[in-house]
Amino acid sequence: MKTSLPSIVLLLCLAAGCGKPSDPEKTAGSKPLVIGVSLMNMANEYIVNLNDTMTAEAKKAGVQLIVNDARRSAENQVRHIETFVAQKVDAIILNPCEVDASSPAVDKALAAGIPIVNVNSETQSKPTAFVGSHDEESARLAMEYIAGRLKGKGQIVIMHGYMGQAAQLKRDRGARDVLGKYPGLRVLAEQTAEWDRAKAVSLMENWLQTHGDAISAVFAQNDEMAMGALLAIERAKKKDQIIVVGVDAIGDALQAVKDGRLDATIFQDAAGQGAMAVELAVKLARKEAVKPETYIPFQLVTKDNVDKFLKPASR
Amino acid sequence: MPCPFEWKTTAPRIIIVAAWLKRFGLVLALVIIVAALGVAKPGYLEFGNVVIVARQISINAILAVGVTFVLLTGGVDLSLGSLVALTAVITAMFAHPGAYPLIVPLFLGIAASMACGACNGVVITFGRVPPFITTLGMMTIARGLAYVISGGRPTADLSPAMKRIAGDLAGIPIPVLILAGVALATWVILARTRIGRHIYAVGGNENAAHAAGINVRRVKMFAYVLCGALSGLAGIVLVARVESGQPDAGLGYELDAIAAAVIGGTSLSGGVGGVGGTVLGALLIGVISNGLDLLNVPYYYQQIIKGMIIIGAVWLDRRNATRI
Repeated sequence: MKTSLPSIVLLLCLAAGCGKPSDPEKTAGSKPLVIGVSLMNMANEYIVNLNDTMTAEAKKAGVQLIVNDARRSAENQVRHIETFVAQKVDAIILNPCEVDASSPAVDKALAAGIPIVNVNSETQSKPTAFVGSHDEESARLAMEYIAGRLKGKGQIVIMHGYMGQAAQLKRDRGARDVLGKYPGLRVLAEQTAEWDRAKAVSLMENWLQTHGDAISAVFAQNDEMAMGALLAIERAKKKDQIIVVGVDAIGDALQAVKDGRLDATIFQDAAGQGAMAVELAVKLARKEAVKPETYIPFQLVTKDNVDKFLKPASR
Repeated sequence: MPCPFEWKTTAPRIIIVAAWLKRFGLVLALVIIVAALGVAKPGYLEFGNVVIVARQISINAILAVGVTFVLLTGGVDLSLGSLVALTAVITAMFAHPGAYPLIVPLFLGIAASMACGACNGVVITFGRVPPFITTLGMMTIARGLAYVISGGRPTADLSPAMKRIAGDLAGIPIPVLILAGVALATWVILARTRIGRHIYAVGGNENAAHAAGINVRRVKMFAYVLCGALSGLAGIVLVARVESGQPDAGLGYELDAIAAAVIGGTSLSGGVGGVGGTVLGALLIGVISNGLDLLNVPYYYQQIIKGMIIIGAVWLDRRNATRI
């Protein structure tokens, strides 16, 4: 445990009115732990949710968070970490902007002997601990759902995101893992709709034109495209024949699941990731051992459990 | 121009064919592509698919017609993709079920884009800022406004009347009818009215037009306001088509629209071109996209083939035009 903190952190603590530990039991007789947080982009709804749970979790644990927004710039992120090192924080939570460009941030923290936890996305340099979810798993869950509904036999079309992006590649890999297990599932066609709803409407119209009644399910790599495909299928009056599944659990998609239009979507657990990141950072600051990698599972959302997810998303 | 089928004429046959190509090169390219697709994919020429292609090109074609007016004056408009988003967001906000009569969201949506078009026109004509810079600025301003107004989130839950705009009327998609109306009206403006002739005059030689007593500023203002209004109209069609108003809608649409106009024979330096060619250009782009999807051509190859067909079609169109 650090015995003294630089005056700037003390000032910050006083200014924030949290100089006193809120949980005297855990931090009895010592100053609260300080954790520096650098977030990728606070304009992103998912990251905002991540921040909310981390703040709540920190309050519960009686530690202080210093949260900085990198606004998508890996360079800002490196600067944040340099400041945290100068402030001698007890641990750092990094939500990396980029795999390569955010790596120096991790290196600098480790060189200064400060434990660093990466949350949600990876960097090339290995941090002390990583908390996230396997993007592959989201597609695997979606495809397993489709396979289950079709009893392992049917013809599928797949809508990809921007070709070559990490999320597209990983979700594709996950989908293929499942397809390999079910020889009865055949991919009729696959194409990119660039994560875009309008492009997905056109693509689905074209597919319905060529493949007609042969399509038994659509797997879209995100919900925007799933919603586009759904609109085209509904307009062709074929929704009763075709299963549509997306990924991300955006507000629109959850509502569509609730209304019985969209069959399923996949929920990525911001709350679970945020809480785990703070828990690990606190443990590391106390020099306790932690697992180097922790994966928070995705969750399948269908009509049966959609109410649980609908509330926080539709603020 | 000699009639292509009067073989008895004294001119060598090659020149007759070339002359015919000069006028119909793009149509010919389109026919070749459609015929090839019809052979490669039985069912391609079905009426159902023709309707699908027409529906899919309507948004790009409406935008392309608007930007044709701007290109004809020798300008350019890069802001129209963002104007689509601005209109989409505003229209969707006022189009919730039971909120206002349909005319309110439609009017406000188009008014917003027209106002942005008018701003473009004022800055370009009175401020003497180059169109490229002005509309580039408007591109980010309108995009930013769309984000501010929507709070960064898409607006769903639209009234049935709003969704109906993407539906059919007597078996023909309403977006296609809107495009037909737009094409006809703008063709009349360009070919049959004084402002139409002035647009060509300004684009051909601005100083000469001014010397001839044409109010150059008024002509340019007209082009940018019209382009804004048509961007708004395209935004409304998009909202109905995706049943939501999205602040990130219309990204990159300006390039597709300008491409359609230029493929259709409108000159980037102004004074040459027209609505008919532009609609054909949009049709060519739409036919290629639809055909490659139908043939299930892998994405990476789609990119290559699309580029080659577009260059080939324009080459067929222009090669003969310049030689004679």
